[in-house]
Amino acid sequence: MTKIYGSDENRVKALDDASFTIEKGKFVLIVGSSGSGKSTLLNMIGLLDRPTKGKVFIDGIDTSKLGDNKLSSFRNRKLGFIFQFSNLLSDLTVLENVLLPRQIGGTNGSAEKDARELIKAVGLESQMNKRANKISGGQSQRAAIARGLINHPTIVLADEPTGNLDSVTSEMIVQLMKSMAKKLNQTFIVVTHEPKYFGNVDKIITIEDGRIFEEEQPSELEVIA
Amino acid sequence: MDYRLRLAKRMLFNKKGSLIGAVLAVTIGILVIHVNFVIFQGLFDAIVRDITNYRNGDILVTDENDYIDKSDLALVNWFERIPYVQGAAPRLSASAEINMTKNGKLIEETRVPVVGVDPFQDVKTSTVHETVAEGRYVLNRNSIVLGTNVARDLGNAQVGDSIKVLIVDRWGEDQIRRFTVSGIVKSPGGQGLDYSVVMHIDTLRDMMSRQGESSSFMVKLNDPSKALEVKEFFLAAFPNDDFIAETIEESAEEQLAGFRSGIAMISMIGYFGMMSSAFAIVTIQMMLVNGKTKEIGVMRAIGAKRKDILVIFIFQGMIIGSIGAGVGTAAGLGYTFYAKETKMTFNNSLPLEVTYNWEKIYQTALMSFALAIIASLYPSYRATKLLPVEAIRTG
Repeated sequence: MTKIYGSDENRVKALDDASFTIEKGKFVLIVGSSGSGKSTLLNMIGLLDRPTKGKVFIDGIDTSKLGDNKLSSFRNRKLGFIFQFSNLLSDLTVLENVLLPRQIGGTNGSAEKDARELIKAVGLESQMNKRANKISGGQSQRAAIARGLINHPTIVLADEPTGNLDSVTSEMIVQLMKSMAKKLNQTFIVVTHEPKYFGNVDKIITIEDGRIFEEEQPSELEVIA
Repeated sequence: MDYRLRLAKRMLFNKKGSLIGAVLAVTIGILVIHVNFVIFQGLFDAIVRDITNYRNGDILVTDENDYIDKSDLALVNWFERIPYVQGAAPRLSASAEINMTKNGKLIEETRVPVVGVDPFQDVKTSTVHETVAEGRYVLNRNSIVLGTNVARDLGNAQVGDSIKVLIVDRWGEDQIRRFTVSGIVKSPGGQGLDYSVVMHIDTLRDMMSRQGESSSFMVKLNDPSKALEVKEFFLAAFPNDDFIAETIEESAEEQLAGFRSGIAMISMIGYFGMMSSAFAIVTIQMMLVNGKTKEIGVMRAIGAKRKDILVIFIFQGMIIGSIGAGVGTAAGLGYTFYAKETKMTFNNSLPLEVTYNWEKIYQTALMSFALAIIASLYPSYRATKLLPVEAIRTG
């Protein structure tokens, strides 16, 4: 994928011919310095933005052929999002936030039961009916993880999920994500500039100036402390 | 409950200031229309009521030849056989010169309208007798009732005073008679016979040399909605006469035409007021959309379609519209109830004829509800145009 912002002399190449494959069930980190293009890359994978050149395939589907409505449905079914500031909807309770992707998708069947189980799994049972703006940052991020998992997506994308948390809470959130990934055989792609919290992962993609120049298995990687 | 409706409700109710502002805008729009209606339609109806009660009745019968020569008894009996008819009374009109000597000074008034009435029939048909402020209504053939303005112009004539009346009869001869003032009439709002004098119809007939003739017949109905039916029935019953029968809408058309266009203009102003409340809703909803940019971005990211975002903000418009229409209608009805119970007057004189026009009440509520939805379309559309990435980053 290539992504260019602006035109003529204001042209900025945020992604330069970046290409990689991620297998199902893997826990992948995207690391890089600030402005390196990692969030742009995540937005492309998350289908929130379209590449200037190139294509994103998810579950073998060429997403460049999807129109706006189909793309929304695709995001709803195949992708889960965890943002840096959790971005829960402050007008809804924790339970309603977790339920939201299921309701948007219109598949309400066992939605509430699933949501309650997920909330229990992330340790927020006692906060379930609290308004999202009445819980702590760490609790919000746990709720965001539950929301990202409710539709059993193909990939969960996390953009700096620990960026707004203290070190203790960050470690707890990382452990939660890793345990959920293992338990549910769930693919996670996490953008971070703090890989130290993640320990061993299946893959680390390093990005610099929009180019992917390093792609290594964590067993061979010396995680920078 | 649909998640979009729940979200719309929560977003709105958690921004109480915006909700109150938007609801208030709709409420004020509706209230302005109700207040306008109570005052101006009330004034119009009051004028119609007074013209009906004092001058024209529900049906006014005249003759193409200026004077009706059919006997009073025949016509009154004919009308009073109809169950809808409350009463029928002949009237005769003329113009007179009046003079009175007060404190040795002769005061003269010319071109004073004179109304001849049959006192027995008139009290069943008109309410002029209820406007007698001093003294009594027409007692006998030698008594006269002065309109309050005539009495004033005659140097404050009072009950018991003697006045001279000059009328030119049908042959062009001056007929002069002396009368005793038996009463003074004063109507609230001045729509009655305040500028006229009232005397016995037979006296006036004598003076005009028009025995057995009348200028008009006032017919008062128990049920004014039957006016057209009674009128048609009357005209069909006297096909060979030259009668003209008019309902109040027809007989007072000239007097009411100006009022009608005035009311239409004031209603327009009310509706413009409602339009401006729609602009207030647009502004408030734009603020709501701007305040929820990040949330909109997140919803789009997790799969909400543009249509879903549109529906959320249209639901908000519907909520604002229904609460505003409810509160505004309640406030409007409250004002109408107050105006009716306190017998509100216009300019401290004319009692307004306050009615509940349910069709207009529903229409106003429905229109404001629809306007709130229409007003929410633009902010909703703007919300759908937000790009998820931009919205999350900048929100």
